[in-house]
Amino acid sequence: MPDTRNNDAEILLDDVGMVYTASDGRNVQALTSVSMNIQKGEFISLLGPSGCGKTTLLRIIADLIKPTSGRVLIGGETPGQARLKRKYGMVFQSAVLYDWRTVIKNIELPLEIIGVTKEERCKRAAKMLDLVGLSEFERHYPRQLSGGMQQRVGIARALTLQPEILLMDEPFSALDEFTREKLHIDLLKIWRKTNKTIIFVTHNISESVFLSDRVCVLSPHPGRLSAVIDIDLPRPRTMELKDTAEFTALVSKVRNSFEGV
Amino acid sequence: MRGLKKGSLSQQRDKIESIVYPVLFGVLIMILWQTGVLHKMLNTDDYILPYPDKIVGIISDNSDMIMVNVWASVEVALCGLFLGSLIGYIIAIAATSFPTYGTGGLTIVSAFNAVPIVALAPVIINWTKDVSSVAEERSMVAKILVVTVTSMASMSVNAYRGLTELPPFSDDLMKTYAAGRLTEFVKLRLPNSVPYIFTALRVSVPGSVIGALVSEYFAEYIVGVGRQIRENILIAQYATAWAYIIVACMIGIMLYAMLMIAEAVFLRKRR
Repeated sequence: MPDTRNNDAEILLDDVGMVYTASDGRNVQALTSVSMNIQKGEFISLLGPSGCGKTTLLRIIADLIKPTSGRVLIGGETPGQARLKRKYGMVFQSAVLYDWRTVIKNIELPLEIIGVTKEERCKRAAKMLDLVGLSEFERHYPRQLSGGMQQRVGIARALTLQPEILLMDEPFSALDEFTREKLHIDLLKIWRKTNKTIIFVTHNISESVFLSDRVCVLSPHPGRLSAVIDIDLPRPRTMELKDTAEFTALVSKVRNSFEGV
Repeated sequence: MRGLKKGSLSQQRDKIESIVYPVLFGVLIMILWQTGVLHKMLNTDDYILPYPDKIVGIISDNSDMIMVNVWASVEVALCGLFLGSLIGYIIAIAATSFPTYGTGGLTIVSAFNAVPIVALAPVIINWTKDVSSVAEERSMVAKILVVTVTSMASMSVNAYRGLTELPPFSDDLMKTYAAGRLTEFVKLRLPNSVPYIFTALRVSVPGSVIGALVSEYFAEYIVGVGRQIRENILIAQYATAWAYIIVACMIGIMLYAMLMIAEAVFLRKRR
């Protein structure tokens, strides 16, 4: 049981549970009794098969849904307060770019919402686009970009307001293996440059091991946290790491920690 | 350039074929019509169905009078279309803002749409008999109102879909930025509804022309392409009636073509 009184924790989950009422009136236990601490600047994966509640947990942290039991604190505040202070950047399963806006205008969207001047918007959006290496595509429309490029724009947009926490919900699951591997390296570089706390939801074991400081393994029926595994592989991580015995051993360890799949 | 998708050649060929074949079919019909083959096929004569050259002759000889009637009909169609679409869109916004009453309200609007113009027109003409002492003006108001009612439903139903059927997670995105309802509406729902506005107009533009022509039948003041078709058939002036029928078709085609151009301009970034 982690120490939930730890005040250094950036994100604190204390006995979080979620019960849905299904359309036939029965209660479905999506998550039971999840407790954990996430430190500032940590890269955490929430790993599990479908139905384990990993996306539900991410959406609870993001204040997109409210848990039916337990407590969540983000730097000592409720998720609602943290959201209104725009502490989160979120990347979804699809890029969620607005197709009537150019790439640069999509990245400017959050800046428009908080009322930044046009000049300042352009400058900051261009900087973000540079961070994901897509500067030459700023006047393109989303449909003109490949899936991987669209998702990089999504990441740039999520970082525009310089949030403290980056929440990523299976962001690379729709991409091919080659693009995904490239984006893993890109994401780790961005993480090192910006020093965000990242919570990364995935169902891909090797992806979670490659990226994370810690892998939180969730198991289904009912959704619960079944293991937390430290990934003490050296950084910066490169593609060659995947061929090492240490990497393979960690992948096996994570795989063996699942219950009832 | 890397990552760019281009329209394939076969798509362009499909596009050309979709124009060429209908035009060829039209030309074939014209030839059959002018040579009298069409009359034999339909078992009719050239008094009831005059030859194309005669119809074209009548149109060019009476172009001034025809244009007066054309403008009268176009004015009714466009004013009614504008008013009906505007009201329809406002209803859609209201239905989006108050979802509890929204779907019910939309059902009532759709039910209005099911009332035939033929039934609607006399009722509206009766309502508007006191709006002006000039017959031409009160007829105009009545006709515009008929078209307004008939254009409302398609806009309200389609715009409601455009305002509520958002791409997955796009509303969550707004929420993570702590955007208020007004911001969400202006930055997401409104632009998302633009293609749906055109879907509605594809139905209501031809509908507004038909509404204008039919409402003229019942109007007090005798003007408009639809009314001229009726008046000329009544006095067995079939050639003149056919001239107005052709003109009515041209109005419909022209307005639809203008809509297509507007759509291509407004939606070019999205396709």
